[in-house]
Amino acid sequence: MTAVGTMLDNKLALVVDDSITQSRVLSHLLTEEGYQVISAVNGLDAFEKYVKYQPDLVLMDINMPVMNGYDAARKIKNHSNHDALCPLVFITNESTDSAYIKSIEAGGDGILVRPFSHQVFKAKIKSIQRISDLYSQLKRLQQEQDTDAKIAEKLMSGVIEARNFGLDRIGTVKKAAALFSGDIQLSALCPNGDVNVLLGDFTGHGLRSSIGALPLAETFRAMTGKGFSLLEIITQINTQLFNLLPADLFLAATFVTVSSHEESIYILNAGLPDAYVFSEEGAIKHKIASSHPPIGVVSTLLSDTQVSVVSVHSSDRVILLSDGIVEARNKLDQMYDYQRFERAVIKGIDRGDVCRNVLASVESFCQGMEQEDDISLVDIPCDGWQQNYALASQVDDSVLGENLTSIYRGLPPVWEWRLSLTGKSLATVNPIPIVMNQIYAIEGDKEHWLSLQTILTELFVNSLDHGVLGLSSDLKVSPEGFSEYYRERKSRLKCLDSGFVDILLEYYPLTSGGRLKVIIKDSGNGFDVVELFKNNVELPDSDMTLYGRGIELVEQLAESLEYFDDGRTVEASYLWAK
Amino acid sequence: MTVKKMLENDDSKLSIVVDGKFDFSLYQNFRDAYIDFQGRNVDIVLDLSKTTYMDSSALGMILLLKEYGDKNSNRIVIKSPNETVNKILEIAQFHRLLTIEI
Repeated sequence: MTAVGTMLDNKLALVVDDSITQSRVLSHLLTEEGYQVISAVNGLDAFEKYVKYQPDLVLMDINMPVMNGYDAARKIKNHSNHDALCPLVFITNESTDSAYIKSIEAGGDGILVRPFSHQVFKAKIKSIQRISDLYSQLKRLQQEQDTDAKIAEKLMSGVIEARNFGLDRIGTVKKAAALFSGDIQLSALCPNGDVNVLLGDFTGHGLRSSIGALPLAETFRAMTGKGFSLLEIITQINTQLFNLLPADLFLAATFVTVSSHEESIYILNAGLPDAYVFSEEGAIKHKIASSHPPIGVVSTLLSDTQVSVVSVHSSDRVILLSDGIVEARNKLDQMYDYQRFERAVIKGIDRGDVCRNVLASVESFCQGMEQEDDISLVDIPCDGWQQNYALASQVDDSVLGENLTSIYRGLPPVWEWRLSLTGKSLATVNPIPIVMNQIYAIEGDKEHWLSLQTILTELFVNSLDHGVLGLSSDLKVSPEGFSEYYRERKSRLKCLDSGFVDILLEYYPLTSGGRLKVIIKDSGNGFDVVELFKNNVELPDSDMTLYGRGIELVEQLAESLEYFDDGRTVEASYLWAK
Repeated sequence: MTVKKMLENDDSKLSIVVDGKFDFSLYQNFRDAYIDFQGRNVDIVLDLSKTTYMDSSALGMILLLKEYGDKNSNRIVIKSPNETVNKILEIAQFHRLLTIEI
């Protein structure tokens, strides 16, 4: 057992010398140092034996027949895989500078000039072995790191970004500087059909920059799916990353909600280069500059943090980019910069592929210079994001297998739940996720609740905007009006210190489904829902109206919808089959 | 790429000068420049006049310096960044976290 063990542990040395005497002496000394020894009589023989036995050390004579030591060394070094260093030491009688230089140039790792004592020889072997051991240790660590990075990369692309929404319509470019990119691109569908997109750039590259990616993606998706507003999502992500990451790790990111039905985008840029809105003719309509330090730097968002609302046309595109693009450098150390970028986007819009055009432009500019930073670009069209949600299929008596009217009348609900928001809390609390959580907690998390969420959102927003805040939809008639409406809404919310919105849910179970009654009351002066939305403007090239669309949608989703008390109370009934 | 530190005004002010490219390779040197500084309630000046370029890990290192300054009541002042470097500080909105003297 020990014998075999020793055999396996022993390092293997290859001695190359055409003189059998010399070869024997060296072999003997190496054996004393614990090596197993094989020998070769010329360069070619040495190369063949090297390939066959993969030794750990080569001692090479220089002047030999058939093939000399230098040529053999070159062949060996060219052949060896770089995962392991096999040190090669030349043994020579020539004590000249040129012999020394030629040895190193041929790939030798050292040279021993005869005559040398046995002690010097053994010391040389030990020192060269030490370097070789360090080299393999380094290689091993490097391999471990590569494996880790590969796992992280797989996680990032396979688990995180593969779950992105709308990738058939959102164009993306992502080129990592290291194997693993610190850039992250996320997209998710909001319950009302809007789409939330994030382009983020974590500090640094490689595995280190990936720590925050998983919680970021989870929070972004979960909160988007539950209908939280963009600012609420950013606030939560900031707190999370601040607590999670060390001080020098953070996320520069642009967050955007693209709302096709409002013809607006909501956007916050925290630490990335300007985000753009381009028209279909390739004109720059808006630039959205960074207005907040990167996410995770401060414990809470700065107090004046605002999400910008920008009016867009349905044919516009929102373009987000990371600094890797504009800071890409060529051989002359020039930066790619914004002007080239903008020109490439314009050309890309003209040719119908922004991503490919920008990438090609950056690559031709850099001309093979090694990329220093991750390159990342997201191209989002502003149209086509409405009504992506699955409308609940029509449910009636025949589906549920019972007479609904007779069961419904006079029976008390099996549970009811109420949430009242008053005064300031109307400005600060978004009740929809709270209500939805309540329903999930009692009735379980089901796909079809998305329809109910839409009903709740539309009715609550109407009660708050047109009831409590007394805003008129007239403001929204023109496309630009939407951002004005939003500003007015914001300023009225800010000074709100009275008023209420009362949400009541009543649940009636049915044999193979259920019915949920939603009753929302508000403190406003009432509004005539018919009057309010009668001026619906039909947009050219679109079957959409700018406002009042919400009510239409509720009518489609709900079993019944009625307004009472001059519009201060609304009652909707939602029916579903199991 | 070097980091130099200088004590001024009877050791009451610490100047850190970053020469060349300010990136992750300076991590240890940069930290060493202030970590043993014992002065409280005095300024630490980060002189970027000789800094040609800065990446996001440099921003991270500045945040670590800020954290140190907050703990030891040192005011941190960033001085004389060139145009490129200032643009990077601006995008990161660092003027809202620290004093930057152009």
